[in-house]
Amino acid sequence: MVETGHFALVLAFALSLVQTIVPLFGARLSNQRLMAVGGPVAVTGFALTALSFAALASAYASSDFSLANVWENSHSLQPLIYKITGTWGNHEGSMLLWVLILTFFGALVAAFGSNLPATLRANVLAVQGAIGAAFFLFILATSNPFIRLNPAPIEGRDLNPILQDLGLAIHPPLLYLGYVGFSICFSFSVAALIEGRIDASWARWVRPWTLVAWMFLTGGIAMGSYWAYYELGWGGFWFWDPVENASFMPWLAGTALLHSAIVMEKRSALKIWTLLLAILTFSLSLLGTFLVRSGVLTSVHAFATDPTRGVFILCILTLFIGGSLALFALRASRLTAGGLFHPVSREGALVLNNLFLTTATATVLVGTLYPLAVEAFSADKISVGAPFFNLTFAPLMAPLLVVVPFGPLLAWKRGDVLGVAQRLMVAFGAALLATLVTALFIDGASVLAALGVGLAVWLILGALTDLAVKAGVGNVAVPVMVRRLVGLPRSVFGTAFAHLGLGLTVLGIVGTLCFGTEKILSMHAGETVEISGHTVRFVGLYPAQGPNYSEDRGRFELIGVSGSPVGEISSAKRFYPVRQMTTTESGIRTIFLSQLYISLGDEGKDGSVVVRLWWKPLVTLIWGGGLVMMAGAAMSLMDRRLRVGAPSRRRKQTVADASQP
Amino acid sequence: MLFWVIAAILTLGASLAVLLPLAGGSKGASSSSDHDLEVYRDQLAELDRDAARGMIRPAEAAEARAEIARRILRLGNADMAGKTSGRAAPVTARLVATVAVLAVPLVSWGLYSQIGSPDLPSQPLGERLAKNPADSSVDELVARAEAHLAANPSDGRGWDVLAPVYLRMQRFADAVAAYRNAIRLDGDSAARRAGLGEAIAGAAGGIVSADAQDAFEAALKLDPANAKASFYLAMALAQEGRGQEATAAWQATLAKLPPDSPWRGAIEQALAKSGGPEVASDAATKGPDAADVDAASSMSPQDREAMINTMVAGLDDKLRQNPRDAEGWMRLVRSYVVLGKADQARDALGRAIAVFGPGSEEAKKFTAFAASIGLTATE
Repeated sequence: MVETGHFALVLAFALSLVQTIVPLFGARLSNQRLMAVGGPVAVTGFALTALSFAALASAYASSDFSLANVWENSHSLQPLIYKITGTWGNHEGSMLLWVLILTFFGALVAAFGSNLPATLRANVLAVQGAIGAAFFLFILATSNPFIRLNPAPIEGRDLNPILQDLGLAIHPPLLYLGYVGFSICFSFSVAALIEGRIDASWARWVRPWTLVAWMFLTGGIAMGSYWAYYELGWGGFWFWDPVENASFMPWLAGTALLHSAIVMEKRSALKIWTLLLAILTFSLSLLGTFLVRSGVLTSVHAFATDPTRGVFILCILTLFIGGSLALFALRASRLTAGGLFHPVSREGALVLNNLFLTTATATVLVGTLYPLAVEAFSADKISVGAPFFNLTFAPLMAPLLVVVPFGPLLAWKRGDVLGVAQRLMVAFGAALLATLVTALFIDGASVLAALGVGLAVWLILGALTDLAVKAGVGNVAVPVMVRRLVGLPRSVFGTAFAHLGLGLTVLGIVGTLCFGTEKILSMHAGETVEISGHTVRFVGLYPAQGPNYSEDRGRFELIGVSGSPVGEISSAKRFYPVRQMTTTESGIRTIFLSQLYISLGDEGKDGSVVVRLWWKPLVTLIWGGGLVMMAGAAMSLMDRRLRVGAPSRRRKQTVADASQP
Repeated sequence: MLFWVIAAILTLGASLAVLLPLAGGSKGASSSSDHDLEVYRDQLAELDRDAARGMIRPAEAAEARAEIARRILRLGNADMAGKTSGRAAPVTARLVATVAVLAVPLVSWGLYSQIGSPDLPSQPLGERLAKNPADSSVDELVARAEAHLAANPSDGRGWDVLAPVYLRMQRFADAVAAYRNAIRLDGDSAARRAGLGEAIAGAAGGIVSADAQDAFEAALKLDPANAKASFYLAMALAQEGRGQEATAAWQATLAKLPPDSPWRGAIEQALAKSGGPEVASDAATKGPDAADVDAASSMSPQDREAMINTMVAGLDDKLRQNPRDAEGWMRLVRSYVVLGKADQARDALGRAIAVFGPGSEEAKKFTAFAASIGLTATE
């Protein structure tokens, strides 16, 4: 089984070479048969990669230590779920997951691309094949998970304990679906550049792919943030860690792409810019892969370090980013510009959004790469942390967030700002009220905190106003209003939910950062402590034994108003003997939208324990907002306008009728 | 054999995926302008929907409609121009097709023969532990015993049997746990206490710590003639720098030992080390002799560190010349750890594993040993 997986991987590499070259020649020579090769090869390549991945996963599940990769990253005592997730909890396995998703998307294009022009489809598959070939080669040459050990050791070296968590089952797959999803947008862009023309169906195809990738990336980042929050035991949800930035940059660029693709799809404008953004977004995904996988960073994700790999990925990076940008420089002038619009219009608003988002991306890029450059040229190691980003990123984002509610309400081609402002009066009033109430009635609220709350309320109500206005609230009778609301295109709901989610996330961040409290103290069993109106009693420290770890579990009781316990929180420190590592399992209790967070520190000689408590108001909204954004993207995907039929003779005749209103 | 059949079927399937479309008929595909037309038609319909909902004003909608109509017109022109492009050069196409069909089996079998291990079967742990014990390696037997004890953790005899095996395999932390379990379940005995002490000392890199001394003392209380306990307690004295007391203790033990005791050799060696001067060339591999240690204790801290470094470097050099010395490697790794040079310790560990080959008995022992002295393996 194991060697079958290995062989399937090699075979998939061979097919990816065919997928790169044959359809490309087919498109050049206008040869139908050569172009037709792309589809079946992409599907077969995906099937083989899936077989290979399944072989590796089953080797992990059955603790087959004759694979060096399994031996290094697994242990027979791990629970089955962590044995399986351990498949991608290491460098080699995660790269295999990467290409699995890449070939999966390629297969989707092949399977559902029948309504694409044949040459575009062939070129897209060829570019997708080229990316696949590069990464297959990378895996086979430097990171082969199928290297065998003979004789096989009897016991493995265990998975990094930090990764022995359900988060590993969700976070990397979601993140990779996002990263790699943008490869399709990239392939479409490069294919358009190769052809020297942008088909009208181009944007119709790129937008849903951007949506899919963006949806998964949003989920992946939110999940990663929550995982770091509860697993690392520092109570933070975002550290501006370079690895986090690596996933955040494609998200920012992808968000810009999502918006510019709307303009292109609806109005055939901003073609060249959208193309460039698609290339840049995937380039940032590749850069993220490089940063994480090459080991140039030392951070909490310190599970991959090997210089030869770094150089290899750098070559891939140069080849694809450099190649696509060079192609862009050569061909962009041949592409025709599209529809016209007035600066104040929906299109104009989306351009503004793009300006802010790309600037923000550049800021994060500088903040991430600058320390590396300093280290490379002067041997000094500096770190650019939260202060830099608070000073640069936050001021960039604030004005963008202020104008967000205007966007969806502006009309296409030529908008009316005053009219939109009138419609937003209610939301504005409520936001102002929220700001004042926060500033006046909450102790310790700074001006910034109050403004932050106001901004969040503005975003949330602005998104709802969009729905209300389009449903005709106030202008029509209730039954008509309901009918209009139900009849709105799904993409309108998608926009509203995505913006609403953004508002919720902002509210969560402001709430946690500005109104959270923290206590660090040494506690004996039986003592109580009060934090932000909640009383917590420390019951005691109890040793326990897990399958592959031992732990000291600290039990805490939440005392209610009546003085009797209303709930239990337990926080633990685990020791994993195989890796000689300690992890913290923070105790978290969700109270409405807020959380009480407890993490254990060192034990004192007199039996006391250092306990850190945090009260994190509205913290769940940070990730809840992410889920709402994902839901928005999902709704937008269901919009019927994204389904473009393939041309047929009968339909062509109806075009003339359709063009007459 | 089965593997080759599967590989052949997979190759056949992959080749067919390339071959079939090439052999298939040309299905008079639609031109790209047909596709564009479809999209424009859709855009027009959508424009009407937007206009009906007031998303775009009537004047702008008319303008947009005109824009789309112009694009449709341009499409017609481009179509006329596009039709003139010549048909494919059949020779090139056929060449590309042939190369592609051949590439699949050639690349895959060629590459796999270089990097694959087709003769190695899968070895799931469950299967390995279920096979006949006579065919199993020591590791597999130990793993089987571990599995048994994981299911029946109160089997004191099992722990008692396993503990000395751990000790011999230098899995000291496991040995400590096993001895403790044996003592808890099957009661105290001098042999178990002495074994526990040895395991604790082993885990600490050979240092007879206070915990280990407690265990040895308990063993002596149960059996005053226990040679292992006496030996290590004397060793503790030597490690504390009380060389003369240690020598006296060893000699006293030696006098009491029966003539065929296996501990005679060990004690004589220890006495030789602490007594008369040793052959100089041996110092690097056998560790510092008493004179060196004495000299070290009267030196300034800097000098002492320099001397220790010299000795470690000597051992390092020796191992570069005679690398197949498992004991030597472990001593080197431990020395670096004691000196606080974790990087060099890791480097030495890596070299040691490279000498015996990753996956070998020794390599496993090294890894366990490194883990036992708090060194995480090379990543």
